[in-house]
Amino acid sequence: MKKHPRKTVLPPFEGTVLLPFEGTESSRRGFLQLVGFGIAGAAISGCSRGPTRHVVPALVPAEGVVPGRPYWIATTCGGCEAGCGVLAKCRDGRPIKLEGNPQHPVSSGGLCPAGQASVLTLYDSRRFEKPLRAGAAVEWEELDPALSAALGALRSGTGRVRLLTGTTNGPSTRTAIGHFLSSFGDARHVTYDGLSCAALLDAHEAAFGRRALPRMRFELARTIVSFDADFLSTWISPVEFTRGYSRGRMLEGDTPRMSMHYQLEGRMSLTGSCADERVRVAPHEEASLLAGLCDLLEVRAGATRRLAGAIESCPRRDVVERIAESLSDSGADSLVVAGSNDVEVQLYACYANHLLGAYGRTLDLDEPSQQRLGDDRALAALRDELAAGAVDVLIVAGANPAYDLPDLDLAAAGQLIVCAEAPDETTAIADWVAPLPHALESWGDAEPRAGVLSLTQPTVPPLRAGRTLRASLARWSEDGRSERELLREHWREAVWPSAQDPGTDFDAFFDAALERGFAQTRVQSGQAWTLSADAVRPTQPSAPAADALTVVLYPKAGVLDGRHAHNPWLQELPDPVTKITWDNYACISPVTAERLDLSEGDIARLEVEGDLAPLELPVHVQRGQDDRVVAVALGYGRLGTDRFADVGPDWIGARPTVAAGGVVGVNAATLVATTAAGLRGFQARSARLTGTGRSSELASTQEHHSLEVPAHLAPPGHEVRDKDIAPRATFEQWQADPATALHGRHHVSGEDLWKEDHAGRVRWGMTIDLARCTGCSACVVGCQAENNVAVVGKDEVRRHREMSWLRIDRYFQGEGDAVSTVHQPMMCQQCDHAPCEAVCPVLATVHSSEGLNQQVYNRCVGTRYCANTCPYKVRRFNWFDYEPIDPLQAAAFNPDVTVRSRGVMEKCSFCVQRIQEAKAEAKRDGRAVRDGEIQPACQQSCPADAITFGDLNDPESRVAVRATDARGYGVLEELNVRPSVRYLSRVDHGQEEDSHDH
Amino acid sequence: MTIEAPVLLPADEAAPPPRPALIQGDKSPADVTRDICKPIERRAGALWWAGFLTALAALAFGIWSVTYQFMTGIGTWGLNRTVGWGFAITNFVFWVGIGHAGTLISAVLLLFRQKWRTSINRSAEAMTIFAVICAGLFPLIHMGRPWLAYWVFPYPNFRGPLWVNWRSALLWDVFAIGTYFTISLVFWYIGLIPDLATVRDRASGLRKKIFGFLSFGWDGSARTWSRYEMACMLLAALATPLVVSVHSVVSTDFATSVVPGWHTTVLPPYFVIGAVFSGFGMVLTLMLIARKVMGLEDYITRRHIHAMCKVLVFTGSIVGLAYTTELFVAWYSGSAYERFAFNNRMFGAAGWAYWIMVACNVVAPQLLWLRRVRNSLVAIFAISIVVNIGMWFERFVIIVTSLQRDYLPSTWAGYAPSLVECGEMVGSFGLFFTLFLLFCRFFPMISMFEIKTVLEPTEGHGADSEGEA
Repeated sequence: MKKHPRKTVLPPFEGTVLLPFEGTESSRRGFLQLVGFGIAGAAISGCSRGPTRHVVPALVPAEGVVPGRPYWIATTCGGCEAGCGVLAKCRDGRPIKLEGNPQHPVSSGGLCPAGQASVLTLYDSRRFEKPLRAGAAVEWEELDPALSAALGALRSGTGRVRLLTGTTNGPSTRTAIGHFLSSFGDARHVTYDGLSCAALLDAHEAAFGRRALPRMRFELARTIVSFDADFLSTWISPVEFTRGYSRGRMLEGDTPRMSMHYQLEGRMSLTGSCADERVRVAPHEEASLLAGLCDLLEVRAGATRRLAGAIESCPRRDVVERIAESLSDSGADSLVVAGSNDVEVQLYACYANHLLGAYGRTLDLDEPSQQRLGDDRALAALRDELAAGAVDVLIVAGANPAYDLPDLDLAAAGQLIVCAEAPDETTAIADWVAPLPHALESWGDAEPRAGVLSLTQPTVPPLRAGRTLRASLARWSEDGRSERELLREHWREAVWPSAQDPGTDFDAFFDAALERGFAQTRVQSGQAWTLSADAVRPTQPSAPAADALTVVLYPKAGVLDGRHAHNPWLQELPDPVTKITWDNYACISPVTAERLDLSEGDIARLEVEGDLAPLELPVHVQRGQDDRVVAVALGYGRLGTDRFADVGPDWIGARPTVAAGGVVGVNAATLVATTAAGLRGFQARSARLTGTGRSSELASTQEHHSLEVPAHLAPPGHEVRDKDIAPRATFEQWQADPATALHGRHHVSGEDLWKEDHAGRVRWGMTIDLARCTGCSACVVGCQAENNVAVVGKDEVRRHREMSWLRIDRYFQGEGDAVSTVHQPMMCQQCDHAPCEAVCPVLATVHSSEGLNQQVYNRCVGTRYCANTCPYKVRRFNWFDYEPIDPLQAAAFNPDVTVRSRGVMEKCSFCVQRIQEAKAEAKRDGRAVRDGEIQPACQQSCPADAITFGDLNDPESRVAVRATDARGYGVLEELNVRPSVRYLSRVDHGQEEDSHDH
Repeated sequence: MTIEAPVLLPADEAAPPPRPALIQGDKSPADVTRDICKPIERRAGALWWAGFLTALAALAFGIWSVTYQFMTGIGTWGLNRTVGWGFAITNFVFWVGIGHAGTLISAVLLLFRQKWRTSINRSAEAMTIFAVICAGLFPLIHMGRPWLAYWVFPYPNFRGPLWVNWRSALLWDVFAIGTYFTISLVFWYIGLIPDLATVRDRASGLRKKIFGFLSFGWDGSARTWSRYEMACMLLAALATPLVVSVHSVVSTDFATSVVPGWHTTVLPPYFVIGAVFSGFGMVLTLMLIARKVMGLEDYITRRHIHAMCKVLVFTGSIVGLAYTTELFVAWYSGSAYERFAFNNRMFGAAGWAYWIMVACNVVAPQLLWLRRVRNSLVAIFAISIVVNIGMWFERFVIIVTSLQRDYLPSTWAGYAPSLVECGEMVGSFGLFFTLFLLFCRFFPMISMFEIKTVLEPTEGHGADSEGEA
C-alpha cells in the first residue's frame, strides 16, 4: 500500500546485460521486474553454472524456483570472520533474509545482529559498479592487463609485494594467495584484525610453541572467568559462544546446570551485564589480578610456584580468592578468558587455564579456531617497511587499514591496489580499486575452525562488478579460470581427500556440501601440548597517574570495527547495554561524571597522552562502569556516513541525523596505538576528559533504566517493579523451590466476566527464558529484516518514535559492582483480553481464532488509542511515510509482509506470514502443522535458544511444556489481559534478593 | 408592524420580585428591540473589526497547521510511542467541556424556570455550538489517516460489510458529540426564530428576504407561539440529559482503558462537573466582553454576573472534591501503579501542570466568596480566564501525565508540543472567536422576546409604547 514517490526508471533492456542497478533511480518494482527476467540466472542450490551476466528470459523457468515461493541456499555469513553458517531465504531470485543454519558446526542455528543485517549491505547502492584507477571508473578489461603487466615486471625483478588482508581462513583463498605470492621473489601476506586478538595467539605461541587460537567450549565450563572479554556480543565468535554459554546454563532436563560466570571489566559490556558476579577493574589491573589468580591456583594445583607472592600485590584480593576457589572446584570444567590485546595478560590466562587442566576440555587446541588470525607484529614490520619506502606493491583486500591503522603510511607503497566492496578510507587513496563481491553473490569458502569448511555460494547474480580476491589473484597470474572452477579444483585436490565423509564421487560430495553449506575434514588430534612454563614471569605492577582516566576502545554490537557503519539497521540498533543508537560516545561512571561535572549528552573533549588529536564526544553516564575508565566505541566516524544526513522524515521540525558536513559518530580508531611489544593497544592511559560547555542529545530508546521508580514518587513497599515485570531468583533458591522468584506476585484470579470468546483449536504462544536471554539483540534485527520495519533516523529515535516491533528492555538495579541487569525482550504479548482490541473504533485490531492479536493496516484510521492503552507499549505508529535510505534497499523487503504507510499502527504479528505459510504447506500435505515447524524470526535468530513458539493448546508442544514451567509468568499478568507470551523468570548466581511479600 | 411576544410568565409569578430588576435602565419592550437589534443593523465598530481580524489571523494559523499536518503526517506533532495523545485530545475535551454551560443555561435553567438566564442563554447556546464545532475537529485531525474518518460511522458498505466497534469509547464519542451538536443546533435555531422575525420586520430589501427565509415565515400568531413553546420545552427536555451524558461518554475514553490515572470510575461525574465549571467560566469571559463591546450593560447586569459567579464557586468546589476523591481512591485502591500515577501527577516531572490546575480550578474560584471580588468586574474577568486555563490544564494533566509513565519503566517518555500542535490550538480559538463574532454581528445575541417577558413595567411605560416602529 505504500507508494514511493520515486519513479521507476528501468534501464534500457537490450537483451544482453543484467545490470538493473545503474544509478540510484531503481525501485523495488523495477528490481523485481528485472530479477524476474534474470531468474534463470539465479544460483540455486547445486546449480552448476558460474555467475552470469546475461539475461535469460524466463520462458523456461529455473528448476525449483517458483515465483512467490521462497527457497533456501546454504552459505556462510560474511558479516565477520566467525564463519557462521546461514541459510539465505530467497524469493524471486534474490535473498531477502538470512537465518542461522541449525546444522552448522560453528553456529548451530543462531545468527548475530551483524549477520542478520548483512543482507541489507548486498543492496547498498554505494558498492562499486566498476573498478577504479586513481579514482576514475575503468573496465576490468583495462585493469587486468595493466596490473598483470605491472606485477609481471615485479616477478622478474626483486620487487617487494605485500598483501594486507583481514583474517582469511578460506582454504581456497589461502591457497590462491600462496600460489600468487610464491611467484614473486619477495612477497608476504600480512593479516590483521580490526578487533585484534593477536596477543591471544601470541600468548599461545609463547606458551605452547604454536600460534593458535583455541576453540573455546563455554558449554562445558562450570566456572567462567572473563577479563574484559565481551564474548556474548562482539568477541571472536559471539553466536558460537552464546550458544555454548546458554547450554551451560540449562534449567531444563534431569540435570539442570548453571555455570558460574565472573566478569572483571572496566566498562559495562553486554557479557558483564549477564554475569553472575561482576567486578569493576581498571585495565591496568588485569595483569596483577590474573597473576594473583594464577598464584592461588598454583597453590591449589600443587604446581611449581612461579608467581609466588603475586597475590600480595593484587588489587582485589577478596574477589580473586573467591574466584580461585570457584575455579578450583570446577577443575578442568573452567574457562578463563581475557579480551585484552596484551600478551602478558593472555599468558596468565593461558597459564590459569593450564593450571586448571582446561586445555583438552574447555579449550581445544586440536581443532583450533581460525576466526582470528591477525598478527600485529607482522603488521608492525609492514609499517616499518612502508615507512622505509620499501614496498613496491601493496595489495589490500577485504580490509580498511586507512581507517583501522592510522599509523600505517599506505601512501608510501609504490602502488596501492585495493580490493573492496564499497568506497572507504582506503579506496580513497588507492591507485587501483578492484571491486569485491558481497558474500551473498560470490563463491568461496571459510574454515572458521580446523576441520569445518563452510562454503559460500551466490544467492543472486552479481548486482555489481565484484570479483573475489581469489579470482583476481588468479587473473593477475594469467590464470583464466572462473571463481567456481577455482573453488571446485581446490576442493577436489585439498578438501575431498581429507573429508570425513568423502563418498566415491567428488561431484556428489561437493553438491552435498553445497546443499548443507559445509563439509568436515579429519583433523589430527592427540598432539601433546606442553606449556613452556618459562614464558610465565611475574608481573610488574604499574600505577597510572592518580586522577588520569584510561580510555577503553571497544566494538559495539553490530557496527563492530566499523565495517557495518553503512548499514542503517545496525546504526539504528540500540546498543544492548546503553540503548543508544546512531552514535558513539564517551561512557563514564556516575561517580566520574560527578567528579568531572559532566552529565548525559554533554560534549566533552577527550585528550590522550601523546601527540594524538583530541576527540570531542558526547558523554554517556553508564552505571557499573569503573570510575577510572572512559569507554569509547570504535567503528564510528566512517567516511561516507554523511549520507545518513537524509535518513528520517523531512519536515519543518526535523533535525538531521548527521550534522551538516559531518559523519555518524567520531572515529576513535585514531587512539589505537602500537604498543612497545608491537601489538595494537585498545587502551590508552593518561587520558583527560573535560567539558566543552556544549551538549547534544543522544538518541536513546530507553529513558528510565531501572525497575526502581523514582524514590520520591514510589508508593511505600513498591519502590521496585521487579515482581510484576522481571522477578528473579538465585540458582540455589530455584533448586529449593523453582517458583521462588514468583512469590509475592499478585494473585491472578482465573475468574472472568466473559466466556472464552475466541476459543480456537490452536492458540499460538511464546515463551521467553530470561535465564537464557543475553540481550544480544539478534532478534531485534532479525525481526526488522523479516517484517520490513522502517529505519527512522536519529532525530526520530530521540523523539521516541523508533519502529522496532521487538525491543529489549534492559533494567539495571544497584550501583557500582553490585549492578545487576535484566534483559527482557518485549513485543506484542498477543493478549487474550487485549485492551487494544476493545478500544479501536473501527475494528482495525481484532483477535483471531488462533489467539493472535491482528492488526489490520487497511482498516486502521490511526487514532492511536490502542497504543495508549497497551500496558506494554509495543505498538508502533507510522508518524510519517518512511522511505528506505537507499532506494535499492527496498529490494530487501520481505514480499510477504506489507510495507506500512503513514498514519497506521503496526506491531509484532508473531510472524503471521510464517504461520500462514506453514499452515498452507501442512494443508497441502494433508497433515497438521508440526510442533517447531513455525519459527518466528526472533526465535530463529536467537543463539541462546531463549525463545520458543508454538501451539499452547497442544500439551505436547515444546512451548506448552515451557509455558507450564514453575518459573513461568506473564508480565503484568495481574491486569488480567492474559498475555500469550510467557516469560520464564531469571535465575542466576547473583545476590539473593529480599523477597518483599505484599 | 411589530409583533410582540405574549407574556410567558405563569400567573403565580406575578408577585413583586424581591430582588433588583433583571433588566436595568427602565426599558420598554421597544427599547429592548431597538437596543438588541442595533449592533446588527449598523456598521461594525472598530473594536469588532479588531477582534474579528485577530480571530481570523489565529484561524489562518490553524488552517496552515492542519494543512501541513495532513500533508506530512502526525509526526509533525510532539507525540511518541508512549504518549499517543497530547494537545489535540486535550483541546477536544476542553472544547466539549466549554459547550456544557450553554446547554445547562438554555435547557436545565429553562426547565427550572430561572429567569435570569434570558439575557445570556442565546449567546451561551451559540457558544456551545461553536465549542462543539471546535471540539469535533480535533478527533478528526488527530487521526493518522483523516481522509478515512468516515469509517467511524456505522454506514452500510460493501466491505463485508465492515462495521464499527461498539465496545470502543471513541465510537460512543462519535454518537455523543453528534447528538449533542444536532440537538444544540436545533434548539438554538428554534430559539432564534421569533427574534429573526423581529429583525425581518425591521429590515428591508435583500436583508428582509434573507431574514424572511431564516425565520421560516414566523407569523406571531397565538397558535404559532403555543407550538413554539411546546417545541422549546421538548427540546429542553431532550437536551437536559445531554448535559450529563456527553461528558460522561467523553470521560469513558479514559475510564475504560487500563492506563493508571485514566482507569477510574469517578471520571464521568468528575468530567461533567468540570465541564459545567469550565463552561460557566467561558460564558463569563464572553459576556463580560460582549456587554462592554456591544453596549449591553443594561441587559447583562451585575445580577447575572453574580449568579454566574455563584455557579462558578459551587462547581469549582465540586471539582476540588473530585480531585480529592481521585487521590483518595488511588490511595485506597492499594494498586501500586495507581498510587504511583498520582504521585507522579503531583510530584513528577510534569507536576507543575498539576499545581497550575489546582491553583486555577480549586483555589482561584474560592475568591468569589468575597463580595468585594464579586463586585469587581476586572477580578471576575481575571478569574474566569484563570478557570479556562485551569480546566485546559486539567485535561492536559489527565491525558499526558498518565501516559508518560505507566507500567513498564522502560517505556517512559516525555512530551512537548510542536509548533504545528500549538498552531492547531490557536486555530481552534481563532475559529471559535471568528464564529462568535460573526454571530454577534449578524444575529440578535440576546433573546429579545424572552427579555420582554422579564421586564418589570414601571410608571410611564407599558402597553402604549408599542406603536413605535
